[in-house]
Amino acid sequence: MAFQFEPSVVVDTLPMLMRGVWYTIYLTVGGLFFGFLLGVATGLMKLARPFLVRKLADLYVELVRGTPMLVQAMFLYYGVPMAVGLRIPPLIAGVIVIAINSGAYIAEIVRGAIQSINVGQTEAGRSIGLTRAQTMRYIIWPQAFKRMIPPLGNQFIISLKDTSLLMVIGVGELLRTGQEIVAVNFRAFEVYMAVAMVYLVMTMSIAKALKILENRLINKTSGKRA
Amino acid sequence: MIEIINLHKKFGDLEVLKGVNLTVASGEVVCIIGPSGSGKSTVLRCINRLETPTSGTVIVDGHDIMNPRTDINYVRTEAGMVFQQFNLFPHMSVLDNVILGPVKVRKMPRAEAEHLGYDLLAKVGLGSKAQAYPEQLSGGQKQRVAIARALALQPKVILFDEPTSALDPELVGEVLEVMKKLAAEGMTMIVVTHEMGFAREVADRVIFIDEGVIQEANSPQEFFSNPQNPRLRDFLGKIVGTCQEM
Repeated sequence: MAFQFEPSVVVDTLPMLMRGVWYTIYLTVGGLFFGFLLGVATGLMKLARPFLVRKLADLYVELVRGTPMLVQAMFLYYGVPMAVGLRIPPLIAGVIVIAINSGAYIAEIVRGAIQSINVGQTEAGRSIGLTRAQTMRYIIWPQAFKRMIPPLGNQFIISLKDTSLLMVIGVGELLRTGQEIVAVNFRAFEVYMAVAMVYLVMTMSIAKALKILENRLINKTSGKRA
Repeated sequence: MIEIINLHKKFGDLEVLKGVNLTVASGEVVCIIGPSGSGKSTVLRCINRLETPTSGTVIVDGHDIMNPRTDINYVRTEAGMVFQQFNLFPHMSVLDNVILGPVKVRKMPRAEAEHLGYDLLAKVGLGSKAQAYPEQLSGGQKQRVAIARALALQPKVILFDEPTSALDPELVGEVLEVMKKLAAEGMTMIVVTHEMGFAREVADRVIFIDEGVIQEANSPQEFFSNPQNPRLRDFLGKIVGTCQEM
């Protein structure tokens, strides 16, 4: 029997994917929230003066960047509980994996953005008596943050898509939900097409939101109010 | 007011300062000139410890900057600095640039700081630009804001690091005018500059630095009309074409 595309299956599948969409959003928002905190902390550690602090940050970034996220997820979910005798719920494990993984990449974004700010800005801040921390907070960070937005947007989109890998540890996110539907109706073409469309809508929303944020920040410093 | 004692500074193997000694009295205007790479900016940047001296020290209003117990952030409020590249904070309005120090370092209430900020901006001729952002200003205006920012902490001395070198020629005058006004009010100033006319007219003393040491220090009249050091004679000879107006 020849293959016949059934658009109605795509339409019917979309509402059934909603449960998975919520899990995917939960994993992405939760993972990126902690990943951002971890990334900022690690990025600042990479710029700190003590050698050991810098090396510790480097080690973390190297470990995460040098191993596949799929392996990290399976190690955390299946491997670590064997060692510590404590099973982590899949959803929590998923958030942790996204946080640890995105944190390493965000650390590099933070470090790069801060280092791209002219050293004269730091000197001017210090010359009016601000401490190192105050100079970072009031002068360097606001300028660096603006430069972080485009690369952060990329990372957010990558992390959103990476949540699909978490189906291997049994998180009922979007892709796994689609897979379960296929197991029932065998319409792989239509169902995975619907899954792809939902991912596309979510990634485009992130890109749009960050573009709006960026424009607001730019208008502010040229004296034009958004 | 400022005492520079046997100041040495090495960058790696390169010894930029080889023992600089200089005392600047309260209210004095000292101009430092010299060829590029001679170490004149480094001397200035050692005074507020933006560069840490390799050996020797600087005493700023009684505070030894190399003493570990000295609060260097406090010393920096006593010794304001104006940079060649202005280094205004581009994400803040002109007024916020000026009052950041008073508000965050001196913990001055915002209303009071704004009052001070408006006064200082009026003083440098930019009272109407308080709400503008740095990128909307010309180079000369930027540098005048930078001077107002340095003044906002009511420092005892201001260090000027080639304040007009990055400016278009027609904008140099407005910045020098502000500096002359400050000098007339009795502000202690150390100015690294290539503006020989300014040095001759405003300075109490002119210093020539070359090869990491002070080669000559004299009143402007003696310094320009009767230079003793052969290097200085050579240096003045080279630049005479560029400062005919003096």
